[in-house]
Amino acid sequence: MNTKFRINLISISLSLISTLLIVFVFLLILNKNPFEIFSVIFTEVFASGYGIGQTLFKATPLIICGCGLAVCFHASLFNIGAEGQLNAGSFVIALVALKAGSLPFPILFILCIVCGFVVSGITGIIPAYIKIKKGVSEVITTIMLNFIILALVNYFLVDFFAVKATMHTEKIADSNMLMKFSDIFPFFEGSSLNMSFVIALLLAFASYIFIYKTKFGYKLRAAGFNETASRYIGININKVILLSFFTGAGITSLAGINYIFGYKGFYEMGFSSNVGFTAIAVALLARNNPLGIIFSSLLFAVLDYGGLSVNQLVPKEIMLVVQGIIILSILAVDRIVKSYFEKRGIA
Amino acid sequence: MELISSVISLTFLAQVLRLMTPYYLGASGANFSERGGVINIAIEGFMNLAAFSFVLFSILTGNVTAGFICAVLINLLFSLFFSYFTVKLKINQIVTGVGFNLLIAGLTKFLLVYIFNSSSNTERFEGIPDLEIFKGIPFAGTVLSDYMTIFCFALIFISGFVLFRTKYGLRLRSAGENPYAAESLGVNVRLYKLSGILISGFLSSLAGIWLASNQNSYSDGMIAGRGYIALAAMIIGKWKPVNIFFACLIFSAFEALEITLQISGTDFPTQLIQMLPYLITVLVLVGFIGKTKPPAADGVPY
Repeated sequence: MNTKFRINLISISLSLISTLLIVFVFLLILNKNPFEIFSVIFTEVFASGYGIGQTLFKATPLIICGCGLAVCFHASLFNIGAEGQLNAGSFVIALVALKAGSLPFPILFILCIVCGFVVSGITGIIPAYIKIKKGVSEVITTIMLNFIILALVNYFLVDFFAVKATMHTEKIADSNMLMKFSDIFPFFEGSSLNMSFVIALLLAFASYIFIYKTKFGYKLRAAGFNETASRYIGININKVILLSFFTGAGITSLAGINYIFGYKGFYEMGFSSNVGFTAIAVALLARNNPLGIIFSSLLFAVLDYGGLSVNQLVPKEIMLVVQGIIILSILAVDRIVKSYFEKRGIA
Repeated sequence: MELISSVISLTFLAQVLRLMTPYYLGASGANFSERGGVINIAIEGFMNLAAFSFVLFSILTGNVTAGFICAVLINLLFSLFFSYFTVKLKINQIVTGVGFNLLIAGLTKFLLVYIFNSSSNTERFEGIPDLEIFKGIPFAGTVLSDYMTIFCFALIFISGFVLFRTKYGLRLRSAGENPYAAESLGVNVRLYKLSGILISGFLSSLAGIWLASNQNSYSDGMIAGRGYIALAAMIIGKWKPVNIFFACLIFSAFEALEITLQISGTDFPTQLIQMLPYLITVLVLVGFIGKTKPPAADGVPY
């Protein structure tokens, strides 16, 4: 276990270093000064409480969504439908928060979470069912469902629930909003960081326990590791696929809390800005370990917020390129490092 | 009523056959890769990359042929890269594919802003000119005015012939069915897998070029999941060239219907009309009979 952990650490650091090098060269090709860009990112993020607060704020949905994906990935279910799943759930969370706004806050909050979780979970059940019944890869169905869900949410939003001439729902009551960090710590003055961040951290710990310390988590990892062997020892693979897809997709819905309860107070079309896809890179970088996901989310949040600050020097879309390079370098470096140690009989 | 009559018409049928082109090119490409045992989810990204580089180099050089060649070459380069991951390093093919799709999506978005100063689309350009020979003949003239559509019809037979009637096809399929047996008989499995991926890279580049050429520009997100739909068509077509063709017709028929509905200006909400191709894909995947049976070693690294 200890050697495995060390090898993982080595390969993660090497893949980050190689990403950095590739991005460096890429920037040089574009005739930009990489040192200038990295120093702008660094000062913008770490020089003020506002920068740190905004970075943690951006990390929140990534942690939540990354944990949801980790559940699926551990079961070898390559769910790339998080973007759709989280939008379905978040939309419902906003509606419930609006319609049941008169309930006492704790009850309202729990009700919203449960409703969002179930709705997102159901959108996860669909690809699981098709996989079980027809053997069709979940990758295709989850991508198709992304398009379907976003179109449906768009339809219901625009035709029934949106405030006129906008793409968002009505704002929930101020008394139902989560507390901002800046209310307690003036250090974070002006940033949108709110209690959702604490919820995200708790969720990461809960996911860690769920995946590594419970009986179902064991079955889930076993099924993902070796399906045939797991079937042989009596694990019901179909049930594992259904439940892990339901749980994983359900968790992603909570990513909406940060925006709805912590920031704007309403659901808005496009609020998620591809968190569902970025979370794939987040989860992969952390080897699907929820505690690691906290750190990889922070890294991606730095890139995201930092990307905005260097937009003057180089288009912020550069961060999407960085994400892609990170994913591919993790995959390649991990394989190379592992085979290096295997050859020496260490792992 | 008007709608029904506009659907049951030769113009509509011609439209269906034309729109089939990118789906069939993508699906055939993916089929070559999967027959060799490599699941190629990156078809979507390859189409995107080819569409972008075709537009970029066509505008830069002012010459469509140069754009075409550049787009194909860049796609072959990325296919080579893809096979390094999946064949040489034996990394999970699906994860690699998604990684490529995300990287390419990011790269095109970035370069779109960086080169064209727009986050949505490039300037317009003249796409590949129409073929004039059959002009004037009703129906056939519309369908056969497009080089790539004609190529698609030929491809049905070419890919059937190559896969099932040549030594190359037999060996490619053996690499996808049982690579160990194939290797023991002296087939260089990795080389065959590589060739399958390169063919898929080439054919998907044609699909991307077709889309960009017909739209006379590149716009962000223009592939809109067509690569994944092509993969679905390949699955529904049970990895057989002729069946895949008919599966592609289903999807292009619904795309044509989507366009007809949008033009007809029905009260039907646009969002739901736009959802149609994706919904149909899922429904067809759920509805068609029997569990799918891909090549035996499809997706298994060798």
